[in-house]
Amino acid sequence: MSLAVAAKTDASTAPAILAATGLSARYGHIHALHGVDLQIGEGELVAVLGPNGAGKSTLLRAIMGLSANDGEVRFRGEALPRRDPVAVASRGIVLVPEGRGLFSPMSVSDNLELGAYRLGDKAEFKRRRERVLALFPRLKERLGQVAGSMSGGEQQMLAIGRALMAGPKLLLLDEPSLGLAPRVTEEILETLGLLNREGLAIVLVEQKAPLALELANRVYLLSLGRIVAELDPRDITSHDDLARHYFA
Amino acid sequence: MADWSYIPQVLVSGLGIGCVYGLIGIGFCVIYNASGIVNFAQGAFVMLGGMITHMLFARNGVPLPLAAVIAIAAVALLGVAIERVVVRPLWNRKATMFVMILATLAAQIVIERLTLIAVGDQPKTLPVFTDRPPLMIGGVAIGFQLIWIVGGSIAIVGLLAAFFSLTKTGKAMRACSINREAAALQGIPVSRMLALAFALSAALGAFAGILITPTQYTAFNVGVPFAISGFIAAIVGGFGRPFGAFLGGLLLGLLQALAIVGFGAGLKNVAALSVLLLFLFIRPSGILGAAK
Ligand SMILES: Nc1ncnc2c1ncn2[C@@H]1O[C@H](COP(=O)(O)OP(=O)(O)O)[C@@H](O)[C@H]1O
Ligand SMILES: [Mg+2]
Repeated sequence: MSLAVAAKTDASTAPAILAATGLSARYGHIHALHGVDLQIGEGELVAVLGPNGAGKSTLLRAIMGLSANDGEVRFRGEALPRRDPVAVASRGIVLVPEGRGLFSPMSVSDNLELGAYRLGDKAEFKRRRERVLALFPRLKERLGQVAGSMSGGEQQMLAIGRALMAGPKLLLLDEPSLGLAPRVTEEILETLGLLNREGLAIVLVEQKAPLALELANRVYLLSLGRIVAELDPRDITSHDDLARHYFA
Repeated sequence: MADWSYIPQVLVSGLGIGCVYGLIGIGFCVIYNASGIVNFAQGAFVMLGGMITHMLFARNGVPLPLAAVIAIAAVALLGVAIERVVVRPLWNRKATMFVMILATLAAQIVIERLTLIAVGDQPKTLPVFTDRPPLMIGGVAIGFQLIWIVGGSIAIVGLLAAFFSLTKTGKAMRACSINREAAALQGIPVSRMLALAFALSAALGAFAGILITPTQYTAFNVGVPFAISGFIAAIVGGFGRPFGAFLGGLLLGLLQALAIVGFGAGLKNVAALSVLLLFLFIRPSGILGAAK
């Protein structure tokens, strides 16, 4: 037991794969993020929780350089370019956006292929594809199907699979459970847990806490564009605790 | 009154010009899909395709096929230049569609005037690619240039379809048109894809110009009418649908040819614009329905 605690503490003090300082973002004159500082350790799974409108999506988008933003984001010590999502993605940071961002009229297979757009190596491409199809066997049966015609859960699996095709070093997920049945959500989160145990650093944004809390090494609570708490998930004993933090 | 026995002959020639409108229409769609921009410099590409080929061939003795290839490559480069110099700066400033149309139309006029200064206002032409008497099929004369136009256009449409559905770059271009932000998140260089779209449509326009020049002529000012016909083809086909644009072009070419027999050559453009108005009123989403 104490060993497990030590391991978890280590994760939070591990060298940061991603460090944001003073990250702010706005839409026109509306400020949606106010000087957020956050650190993700190598191999960590960090949950970012917060109510609707807290700025969770904006935070992930700001990391990718998608929305107008200020502040600094370092990836393995190197400053990331701002306002250039293509460059950020090429460094190995992949966002599975809110709403999934699939190329809906295209086939499952084409979507996966485009996830590996920057990969030239054919053998490695095959290996990644096998791996993704092993993680999400349901996609295997639907390779030729148009992405938009699948169920929500399958689409989310495809979105994550497509992200994995890029061979990410850091995976950002924006509410992957949104609109999905609990069973499917569980299946997807289990897969994320597996990937994390293999060493993939993950930032998981969710509104609904319980499932994310089971996986997370650390939790940030976001409210009105600010990080209001950084927690160890084992300290959160009940939903009430979370609720108190939200509105503190 | 018109002599209706000419109808099959007229339809055949309408088919040829229709293919050319279709290719120009596809050029509109390729850029529109990649960027949401309606590029009215499209006509300049058509004019320059024929004009540069003529200059190389007639004035400098370059063999026709080589002259055509050089012209297509040069016009593709010009397409990239227009994208970099005119479109990109406006796009980055999130200019409206209206501003974009105006800016590309301005580019068209600049190219037109520069061409006038460079080569004068005399019409130029090219020899037909295969100099043989036309084939007679059921009393209808089918010239070899028409076979080149129809065959060449169908080949290009087929190649484009293969490019967009089979190659990674083609799929990436489609991805950009479906969801540009998601494409960027996959590391697809979206701005390079826009440049590529301009190169591709410019090359298409030049190819169309080279095909049609032997049957008509080219001059500094043929671009705008071609651009308008290609634009109508794209509207009729459902804007943003390359295959629809090609069908739209065929339809427009045939209707124009019929209008010429029925009402005289002077009303050719009236027919074309009537088709445009008709579609805008009755079926604004085109034959196949708009892409977006
Ligand atoms: N495109 C936009 N334009 C204007 N305001 C926006 C836009 N997107 C989000 N916002 C605002 O920014 C704030 C944070 O939004 P968001 O990051 O989407 O929150 P969350 O993902 O936590 O639900 C909200 O107040 C929202 O209304
Ligand atoms: Mg959100």
